[in-house]
Amino acid sequence: MVFQTVALMTRARGPDEFWRKRRIFRLSSHFRGRFRNCYSMAIRAVHRSLQFATKGRDAKYDIIRQIWMNRIDSAAMEHGLTYKAVKEGLTRSEIHLNHKSLADLAVWEPRTFKSLVNIAHERVKQDGLRIMGYLKAPARVLSKGK
Amino acid sequence: MSIVRRSQQWGTFARMWHVFDATWQDPYQSSQIIAKYLLGRHKPISHPMNRCGDHVVVINSSEIALRGDEWQMRVYFHHDTYHGGASWTKAWELHKKDPTMIMKKAVYRALGNNLTRHQAYARLHVFLDDKIPLEIQQNLSSQIKQLRPVPQRLDQISPEELENFPQIVKLPETYVLT
Repeated sequence: MVFQTVALMTRARGPDEFWRKRRIFRLSSHFRGRFRNCYSMAIRAVHRSLQFATKGRDAKYDIIRQIWMNRIDSAAMEHGLTYKAVKEGLTRSEIHLNHKSLADLAVWEPRTFKSLVNIAHERVKQDGLRIMGYLKAPARVLSKGK
Repeated sequence: MSIVRRSQQWGTFARMWHVFDATWQDPYQSSQIIAKYLLGRHKPISHPMNRCGDHVVVINSSEIALRGDEWQMRVYFHHDTYHGGASWTKAWELHKKDPTMIMKKAVYRALGNNLTRHQAYARLHVFLDDKIPLEIQQNLSSQIKQLRPVPQRLDQISPEELENFPQIVKLPETYVLT
């Protein structure tokens, strides 16, 4: 903890014991059993839960990223390509959309996503990569080689 | 909500019925794909809190193929909670007893251990042959691609086709084909 002034370095116990405890009880209001209402148990449980919350803030993005990747993969599979092929094809075509944008397009704008898949497919096919799926040659894609 | 939007909602979240032909397929590998459909992971709208899993009807589960010596070596464990109540059943024995059991257990395991497993497993329908009840048959609208093509057996090829098949050497009349 950072103490920026001398005044803050002292143990600030708050104005009133009741309201100091209320601050803790507000955080423990959804706990189970006596961890909700008994202060000496609640303060320990709140400290513990705040530690979990700190760790969870990072872990949450791993889960969300997994969901995005799964969504891109399933949308790409509808057009016969895998997640890996789409990502590789788009990167080689210098379309640097991130996971969130691609997943949003897959859900809300399927036709836009399909055109992106077509571009990725064409690029992957041009470069002769083996990760290509069984999609037929897409129509109306303008690429450098043609 | 307008009728168009409402029907769009119905169309998005409607449960589809897929059929999977288990003939000559590895149940443990195909269960990974079936689990994906049961949990709705094959849809772009999939989310752990989103109920978008589909129904999967597995047919011909008596015709599954296990790899290598797995019929003898794979063992299913059961304990009836009494002393000495442990029992180990080999895969071929279980398959003889119930031809749908190996497929069901494989999918049950592939669904993962969380609260969605029970509901997803209820959407699985396994049949030992291709005879499906009519009310299930009427729901089917899609087919899941098999992992590998089913090979053609020699006794399934017609005698005319065998006669006309080009031969490298001309066998003598007295040569007996076994």
